[in-house]
Amino acid sequence: MSNPMEQFVVKPLIPLEVGGVDISFTNSALFMVLAVTVSSLLLGLCLRKRSIVPTVAQSVPEGIYEFISGLLRENVGPEGLKYFPFIFTMFLFVAFGNLLGLFPYAFTFTSHLTAVGSLSVIALLFNIAIGIKKKKIGWLRTFLPKGIPFALAPLIVPIEMISFLSKPFSLTVRLVANMTVGHIMLKIIAGFVVALGVAGVVPVLFNSCIVCFEIFIALLQAFIYTVLSCIYLGDALHEH
Amino acid sequence: MPQLDFSIFPSQFFWLCVCFFSMLFIMSKIIIPRIAEMIELRREKIDGNLEKAAEIKTKAEEALEKYRNALQDATNRANQEILKTQQDLQAMIERKQSDLAAKLSSEITESEKKILNSKEKILAQVDDISSEIALSVLDKLNLSDPNFEKAVKSSLKE
Repeated sequence: MSNPMEQFVVKPLIPLEVGGVDISFTNSALFMVLAVTVSSLLLGLCLRKRSIVPTVAQSVPEGIYEFISGLLRENVGPEGLKYFPFIFTMFLFVAFGNLLGLFPYAFTFTSHLTAVGSLSVIALLFNIAIGIKKKKIGWLRTFLPKGIPFALAPLIVPIEMISFLSKPFSLTVRLVANMTVGHIMLKIIAGFVVALGVAGVVPVLFNSCIVCFEIFIALLQAFIYTVLSCIYLGDALHEH
Repeated sequence: MPQLDFSIFPSQFFWLCVCFFSMLFIMSKIIIPRIAEMIELRREKIDGNLEKAAEIKTKAEEALEKYRNALQDATNRANQEILKTQQDLQAMIERKQSDLAAKLSSEITESEKKILNSKEKILAQVDDISSEIALSVLDKLNLSDPNFEKAVKSSLKE
C-alpha cells in the first residue's frame, strides 16, 4: 500500500533560483497556474455569448457574481463592493484549487500550509492596507478598542494582536486540514481496492460517494474561506 | 508530513503571488466587467421597461379620464337636449292650445253674433209676418180697413 502522504509531496518541475532563494516551479505551482487558467477559461467560455436574457452558461458566472456581491454587501456593507474583484478572485482561486485537486493524480495546493498561508497573508496585508487607508492612524485602534481604560493597554494590546494575527492562521488551518483529511481518506480507501481483489468493488463505491462529498466540501470550504475573509475585511473597515 | 516542510515556502509564496495577482488582473479586467456589464444592462432594461410600463399606465389612465369626461359631456348634452326638446314641445303644445282656444272663442263669439243677428232678423220678420197674417186674416174676413191696419201695426210695436 502506498503512503497516503505521498500525494502531498512538492516536487520541483523546473528548478529556479533567484538570489540564493529557491523559487522552483513545482507541481504545486503548476496547479496554481492550472487553477488560474481553468477558471479564467471556463468563465471566459461561459461569457462568450452574452445576452440580456442569460443563457445557461452565462448564468453560472452571473450566479457567482451575485453570490459574492451578496456576501460582501451582507458582511462588509455597500462600501465593500469596492473590494469585489479581490474577494471574487479569492473564492474562485480556492474553489478551483480544491476542485482540481480532486482529479486523480492531481496535486492539491490548498492542502499546503505554505500555499494557503501565503494567500491568507496576502489577504491580511490587503486588510491592513485598506484599514490604514480608511482610518489612517486610527487603524491602530484595532489593537485597543474604544471604551477600554488606557491602564489595561499592556494587557489588551497583545491579546488583540494575537487575535488579529490568529485570524489568517485559523483560516489557513481550517482549509488545509479539511483538504488534507479528505485526500488522505480517499487515498487510504483507494489503497484497499487492489488489496481486496473482487471485494474491491465495495471501496470503489465508497470512494465514489466520498468524492461527491469531497466536491461539496471543496466548495463549502472555499465558501467558508471567502465568508471569513469578508468578515475580516468588514472588521478592517468598521469599528468594532 | 510534507505540509510542514517550510523549505518550500519561498517557492510556494512566489508562485502563489504570481498566480493570484495574475488571476486578480484577469478577473478584474476581463471577466468581472463582462458580467457586470450584462447585469447592468439587464437592470437598465428592466428599469426602462418598468418606466415604459408606468408611462403607458398613466397614458391609459388619462385616456380613461378623457373618455369619462367625454361620456359625462355627452350625457349632459343629451340631457339638455332632451330637456330643451321637452320644453319646446311643451311650448308648442301650449301655443297650439292657446291658438286653438282663441280661434274657438272667436268662432264662438262670431257664431253667437250670427245667431243674434239671425234672431233679430227673425224677430224683425216676426212683426211683418204676424201683421201680414193678421191682415190676411182680416182680409179673408173682408174686414180690410186702414184703421185696422194701423191698429195691428201699433199693437205689434208695443
